[in-house]
Amino acid sequence: RTHTHTHTRKHNTHKHTVAPHAMANTITLRSSDDETFEVEEEVAFLSETIRSIIEDTENDAAVPLPNVSAKILSKVIEFSKFQVKAKKENESEAKIKEFNNEFVKVDQATLFEIILAANYLNMKGLLDLTCMTVANMMKGKTPEEIRKTFNIKNDFTAEEEEEVRKENQWAFD
Amino acid sequence: SSTRGHMSSEIHPLGVRPSGNALTSLREDVERRVRTKEQGLGALAALGDTLLLRVLESCAPRTLAALAQTSKAMRAFATHADVWKAAVLETFGGRFRYDASWFGTFATAAERERRRDGDDVHASKRAKAEPAMARPRTSVSAEIYSDALHQRYMCASMELEAEWLEVSTVPEETSGELSVRDFVAKYEAPNVPVVIRGAAKDWRATQTWTRESLVEKFGDVDFVVGGYDMKLDDFFTLDACEDDVPLYLFDPNFGEKVPELVSDYDVPEYFAKDDLFSLMGADRPHYRWLIVGAARSGSSFHKDPNATSAWNAVITGRKKWVMFPPHVNPPGVHPSEDGAHVAAPLSLVEWFSNFYQYAYDGDVKPLECICEPGDILFVPSGWWHMALNLEECVAITQNFVSKANLRKVIAVLDTKCEALLSGLDKSRRGSLGELFNEALKSSPDDEVQSILTEYQSKKAAKAKPSALGDAFAAGASFSFSFV
Repeated sequence: RTHTHTHTRKHNTHKHTVAPHAMANTITLRSSDDETFEVEEEVAFLSETIRSIIEDTENDAAVPLPNVSAKILSKVIEFSKFQVKAKKENESEAKIKEFNNEFVKVDQATLFEIILAANYLNMKGLLDLTCMTVANMMKGKTPEEIRKTFNIKNDFTAEEEEEVRKENQWAFD
Repeated sequence: SSTRGHMSSEIHPLGVRPSGNALTSLREDVERRVRTKEQGLGALAALGDTLLLRVLESCAPRTLAALAQTSKAMRAFATHADVWKAAVLETFGGRFRYDASWFGTFATAAERERRRDGDDVHASKRAKAEPAMARPRTSVSAEIYSDALHQRYMCASMELEAEWLEVSTVPEETSGELSVRDFVAKYEAPNVPVVIRGAAKDWRATQTWTRESLVEKFGDVDFVVGGYDMKLDDFFTLDACEDDVPLYLFDPNFGEKVPELVSDYDVPEYFAKDDLFSLMGADRPHYRWLIVGAARSGSSFHKDPNATSAWNAVITGRKKWVMFPPHVNPPGVHPSEDGAHVAAPLSLVEWFSNFYQYAYDGDVKPLECICEPGDILFVPSGWWHMALNLEECVAITQNFVSKANLRKVIAVLDTKCEALLSGLDKSRRGSLGELFNEALKSSPDDEVQSILTEYQSKKAAKAKPSALGDAFAAGASFSFSFV
């Protein structure tokens, strides 16, 4: 039985309901801010990083993930659980897409943190999804709109800006 | 904005510097560069350079063109050569001519396509007015630090150190002084490399092929470049391209496409005596390649597929080789356990810079040599090898199965491991072993028959057949893909 952690307040309210000798098919993950999550092995193994760590260690100790906060790890676990469930239940492409679209509806900073986590955890599916999400945030926008979206400072002089515009004109004809 | 002259000493076209430079620069310059990057990337700075590049790889060209206009720092990322090289290949395959930069190449190819689609009025007007529009203008620099951006330009422009080219330890023979029997006894049977100087010097290929003559006759023919079909004439526009991993012409069907090229050379008797895959007739896997590459191009460390042996003849140019025996992993090269996948730096210059120094640390030393026009190198079955073209190089290579490596080949084909086999489309690889064993039965050579029978009875006698057979050296692996 897996135990889901919900991060609703600053205080941790999660409890260990699993006995110290964890069941063969669950893994304990420890976030950077010292919270632990019990996850089924097949869910955790969507991360190649976690898979290698587990395969290289003999004991049942919690896997420390110093680069991933509890807030982000929750999201990653949410994603992984759905993917595993969807595969088992032969979920339609449409339903998976629907979940993915909702999943990435987070603020920009959180999205970037998920990208960093997906990279660190070596999770290709999540990384592809989140990188594509950022690409979509840029798509179809003018340079000024892109600047506003990501708080980019325009440091071209008027002359330089015109040169660079001409250099890229071919893409907009 | 800085003048062109200021940029000429920079390695990166927009003046991006490696982060190490910060240690020796004036504090205010460092602070300015750091600020330029922070403010120019905005929230995206949080991703780090490598992940930002990954995001850009998911962006359509038009999005990249918009991003390039947002800030100086972002322009450096959005015009990065690797991003546009991938876009060119993905969008146009081999249907392009290199134009000043990968970014420029894409722009030119896109405009050419629009012209062809009849949407040409604006394009041709603009082309006439401002011909060099596609190039990134070096006068608008991007003064930031970024290792991720700088690295490939450094590899692309790095000079080869003289000491990388000094060692010559592959055994040498002179063609005409080496009998077939001695070749078998000294090299093929013990599975040891040898370079046979002048073995190809009398070929019509060696005597008549030049870039000019090839382009004149075959400029319009499609050859396989980095996996894409590309006209030979277009391929040579890549001269102007400074890549860390240059596109390589590596064509397994050149003989079928242009039979006259095959008639310009003769397979030396050392290798022609028994080419057992030929018993399969038209079913045989790929076995001969035309190889053309610019200076700095080549193949990173790999073992040849199907446990075959190979010979490689330099027709024009010069080729540097580094080889390790089958059981020794070259430094920096990491095969997977089953040997099917190999992790290694793709850039050969990068391998030399970072790993060559460790090549002589182990008990087993590598063998090295440089092949000149007319020389043929014998690459024995299972040997790790890496080839670096020191100047533009045209070569021919063939892989073969002879009695010397027959046992190993049968064993490898028996694993039916798709990743270890090659030269056929994937759906046929499983049956390659069966087809080959059938074909072998038609060989009149008694020794071939006895080898085949011996293997099959050994196999039947085992409770569980071992994955790679006893005869095959440990660590079998190969990676045969080129950018």
